Amino acid sequence: MRHVSARAIGIGLLVLLCAVALAAPVLAPNDPGTSFRDRAFAPPMLPRIVAADGSWHAPFVYPLRLADRLEQRYEEDRSRRLPLSFFACGRFVCLEDERDGPWLPLGADAAGRDVLARLLFGARTSLGLALAASLAAILLGVAAGSIAGYAGGPADEILMRVAEFALVLPAVYVVLALRSVLPLVLTPWTTFSLMTGIFALVGWPWVARAVRGTIAAEASRDYAVAARSLGAGPARVLFVHLLPACRNLVATHAVLLVPGFVLSEATLSYLGLGFPDTVPSWGSMLQDAANVNVLSRFPWMLLPAAAIFLVTLAVNLSLGRQARPVPAPAQIAAGGDPAAGRIGA
Amino acid sequence: MRGYLARRVLFAAMLVFLVSSAAMLLTHLAPGDFVSITTGERASPAQAAQERARYGLDRPIVLQYLGWLSRAVRLDLGDSLLYRRPVGTLVRERAANTALLALAALALATLAGLPAGVYSGSRQGAGASVVRGVSLVLLSLPSLVTSLVLVLVAARTGWFPVGGMVSASSTGASLAGWWADVAWHLPLPALALALPLAATLERLQSQAMADALGQPFVLAAVARGVPRRRVVWRHALRASLSPVASVYGYVLAALLSGSFIVEVVTSWPGLGRLLYDALRARDVYLVAGCAAAGSLFLAMGSLVSDLALAWADPRMRRG
Amino acid sequence: MARFRSLPAPHPIALALLALAASGACGRQTPAPAAPPAPRELVSSIRAEPRGFNRYTGRDSVTETITHLTQARLVRIDRRTQELEPWLAESWSASPNGLEWTLKLRQGVTFSDGQPFTSADVLFSFRAVYDPGVASPIGEAMRVGGKPLAVTAPDPSTVVIRFPSPFGPGIRLLDNLPILARHKLEAALDSGTFAEAWSGSTPVSDIVGLGPFVIERYEPGQRLVFARNPRYWRWDESGKRLPALDRLTLEIVPDQNAELLRLQAGQIDFTQTEVRPEDYATLKAAADAGRITLVDLGVGLDADSFWINLRPGANQARPWLHRVELRRAIAHAVDRQAFADTVFLGAATPVDGALITPGNSRWYATDLPRHPYDPAAAAALLESIGLVDRDGDGVREDGHGADASFTVLTMKGNSLLERGAAFVRDALGAIGLRVDVAPLEVGALIDRIERGDYEAVYFRFLTTDLDPALNMDLWLSSGGAHVWNPLQRTPATDWEREIDRLMHQQAATLDHAKRKALFDQVQRIFAEHVPVLQFAAPRIYVALSTRVANATPALLRPAVVLWNPDRLDVREGKRASR
Repeated sequence: MRHVSARAIGIGLLVLLCAVALAAPVLAPNDPGTSFRDRAFAPPMLPRIVAADGSWHAPFVYPLRLADRLEQRYEEDRSRRLPLSFFACGRFVCLEDERDGPWLPLGADAAGRDVLARLLFGARTSLGLALAASLAAILLGVAAGSIAGYAGGPADEILMRVAEFALVLPAVYVVLALRSVLPLVLTPWTTFSLMTGIFALVGWPWVARAVRGTIAAEASRDYAVAARSLGAGPARVLFVHLLPACRNLVATHAVLLVPGFVLSEATLSYLGLGFPDTVPSWGSMLQDAANVNVLSRFPWMLLPAAAIFLVTLAVNLSLGRQARPVPAPAQIAAGGDPAAGRIGA
Repeated sequence: MRGYLARRVLFAAMLVFLVSSAAMLLTHLAPGDFVSITTGERASPAQAAQERARYGLDRPIVLQYLGWLSRAVRLDLGDSLLYRRPVGTLVRERAANTALLALAALALATLAGLPAGVYSGSRQGAGASVVRGVSLVLLSLPSLVTSLVLVLVAARTGWFPVGGMVSASSTGASLAGWWADVAWHLPLPALALALPLAATLERLQSQAMADALGQPFVLAAVARGVPRRRVVWRHALRASLSPVASVYGYVLAALLSGSFIVEVVTSWPGLGRLLYDALRARDVYLVAGCAAAGSLFLAMGSLVSDLALAWADPRMRRG
Repeated sequence: MARFRSLPAPHPIALALLALAASGACGRQTPAPAAPPAPRELVSSIRAEPRGFNRYTGRDSVTETITHLTQARLVRIDRRTQELEPWLAESWSASPNGLEWTLKLRQGVTFSDGQPFTSADVLFSFRAVYDPGVASPIGEAMRVGGKPLAVTAPDPSTVVIRFPSPFGPGIRLLDNLPILARHKLEAALDSGTFAEAWSGSTPVSDIVGLGPFVIERYEPGQRLVFARNPRYWRWDESGKRLPALDRLTLEIVPDQNAELLRLQAGQIDFTQTEVRPEDYATLKAAADAGRITLVDLGVGLDADSFWINLRPGANQARPWLHRVELRRAIAHAVDRQAFADTVFLGAATPVDGALITPGNSRWYATDLPRHPYDPAAAAALLESIGLVDRDGDGVREDGHGADASFTVLTMKGNSLLERGAAFVRDALGAIGLRVDVAPLEVGALIDRIERGDYEAVYFRFLTTDLDPALNMDLWLSSGGAHVWNPLQRTPATDWEREIDRLMHQQAATLDHAKRKALFDQVQRIFAEHVPVLQFAAPRIYVALSTRVANATPALLRPAVVLWNPDRLDVREGKRASR
């Protein structure tokens, strides 16, 4: 019962994240590409309902004032409350009076851009990219791995050696060479497709190798041998009998690939194959946070890591098998662990 | 078995050849060449042409490649354009440093990741959730940030040196002193490399453990009255090692090729940094040399991996 | 060539052992509790590996920095005052026409290996720098109007230099030329292997010089250790032989964050890198706590530059990109104060001039035509060249109805450049020009600039010399660094022809006031035609630990502190080893 509910939580979280990504234009209080002057590294302006003097109010924020530009020090003006209004300005929530500057609920980055807006819009890029690329890598990897594991012999040898070649040839060379033949300005969509392709090529060998190991082991087990001797074709044995045994393994690899791809996006954009700065992504946001001064003074720049954690957690909960405690002897006597039957099926 | 090994060695040679060739040719295709990047606009065209001639970069790619190849088969990898030193020496110097770091990181990651995975895969409750949560956090942080945070902690607390491999003062110390100094520098970069890796191993081992515990032989053992600890650490563990073993070699190879980010942030003089500098400057010979080293490591790693797999699961032993 | 097999290279650990044996033999490193004066040592850092130790063939900034430590020149320019100082040449005189200079060399100077320094070494250095086989990167800077100087040596302590034509900077250009040891390098030059000499695999004891330090150790990937040159030829006022330091270490720290942390932790004393605007606050806090000294050097010499490709073949489909009105409109469209505040986080001064920032006070012209922030004026200028928003989509169109858009290339990975390019894009978007920013990896960027395959570029140049006559390849239309339209056979425009004329004239003028007046005219023409736009010049800060004494940081890179290494010292009372 327990792991069913965890899966529901995971799926729910994933759906919620996707919904947030889709609703970004409504949820974000500002445009993700706008640089606000005098707001570089501005701290978060969290909504409050209790004022400094202890009185209660409708949600509001205190206006922010730049105290020292060179040191990026800001001061809250506690004497005035700026009320937030909901569903008023074409967005979910916004500041009624923006004369004192924009509302930056989660602070600003080095260029004075709204971190919340960039997080929300970045979800579209990063989430989409990571999910699409992981799916592609897994499909490729499972196909190659199961053929190699099931067929064995030369097919196994060739596929695994190709996988090694794909692994050892760092994408860096390919991307550098590829970049030079592509047009200078790529549309975000082209970038997206190219990145998905490159990630799939980088990711599949890991999946393939793990799947091959499991399939090869399972293929020699009694149930697979029995299926074959009963006249089941290779495709049937593979799909009906062997691949289900890889389900958990594949799920684990998905958990590893998704955050990996979100983060790798920044590396690719370093080589010139990235999204323009108007299209935010979590990977490049974290890249911007990689500065000692930022890490120690502006921790809100690390929020994309929290977002990636949520996605990874959601994938882990929705796909992964939960821990299985060692059954107590009494349980076995009562009919055993119900989930254990599947493997022997 | 001997035929198998011979085939693998042959393949390793082919892999090294293919990968270093591909690295070299692809680097050639990348925009800019060594002369244009290192001289920029500061050299007149005549001067640039002269420099190209000096390095042999004015010849057609095919000729350059064939020239390199004819020397490479005699194990002469040429001279680095950037450092004007033999590529073989440069790569070996750095590969030794990287190997030290990689082995330390792998040991750390294995010692932390595997038991954690066994634990989280065999239990329910708060402890297992915490382990799982920590893994997912580590997977969500880019290694750039992890290593920076570690360096930051080292700088603030003074527990470890802020990067580097050996202190300037240790060159005059005794051999034991030298090793002690290296050992004092090692934890920081090793931890930076090991943390995400430990998380990866934990996830793989945890899932495999959960799978193994559902197998009939575990039920049988439990029914026979084998104690829980023994069921987990003896029966289930060995049966659950195959997913980790299957990627272990790749992990080892990836570590041995050097992690550019960790090496740069922690100032570790390793292979990853060398490759990055070579790539940036389009030092084709050095790129090819680094790629050769990387592919050699991968071939070795995958062999190790296959042997480990065969050990973990006897059914995997093939001719 | 490389020998991978035949000569097994020692294992690094074995190497370390050898070094250990060597150092044990002379007892250099052993801490001696009996000897009270602790060695005076400072530690600095470099960001990259040296590519060699020969400035005549190495272009990289690390080689240049090392040269300041190990070699010396005939004359030296004081980086702070821009005054010429006697160095290996203790005095000089010029013929009345300024063409012939007679330099008297210092007596009794020896190289670090004990060989005497004579005029033969000077002759050899000139031979090497002009050798066509060497193709030295400093060869260009040692020519006047493309012609080499004629050098003779009437006796071992006299050198006579003849300029091919009158040259305003005079012997200032000798500051570029480290004097090499003939007895060490002549054989290499004669046999054509000079380019490979003094590489990273040369034993460091072979690298001799006339500078205050000698290389004691090179640990690849880790550090360079310099020991004082006991034969250095300078004394301080109190009669003590320089350099003041016993040892100087350059740690190789590739990452700027790590460098900063080591500085804060007191493991290094200063860096060669300028302080990033993002790091100012942290360093300010450390300075307030008394751990470091933060020196404000004022406005930097280099501002980020924006230019449009004006090569005749470029942008043929969009002739409006070549119009001066467009460049002036861009100059009016950028709010420079906002630019300085946003891009440099306030650590910058708005500039609107002709590539010379206020940091170069000797040559900066104050009364140039300026382009104040004025979007209306920018819009009017765009309309005057037919760029009008005809379909009301917020983007102007040219006469054929095509959107007024272009792409700006910049360098990926440099946050200042990326922020600056984005700011320019937003500013131009506000006046109806659609700009795409394409950040490229550095190699790809330089390749495109070299081939002229771009529309516009936003990039930063490094000023290598303050005197305009030593930067002729930037100002002359035939120059390689005349970026917007380099290597022209004949000047493409009248104003470039005029700049060429004025530059030749000022380079050939000996009187500084006259030269300044001529160069002011050049700057005025430049500011009218704005082939290169600049918006803000960063303020330059240098962070030094409080242990450092007698540092004289200056703006000119790369050796911001190390250009003057012989008096660097450890502050009294701070000498205890860390």
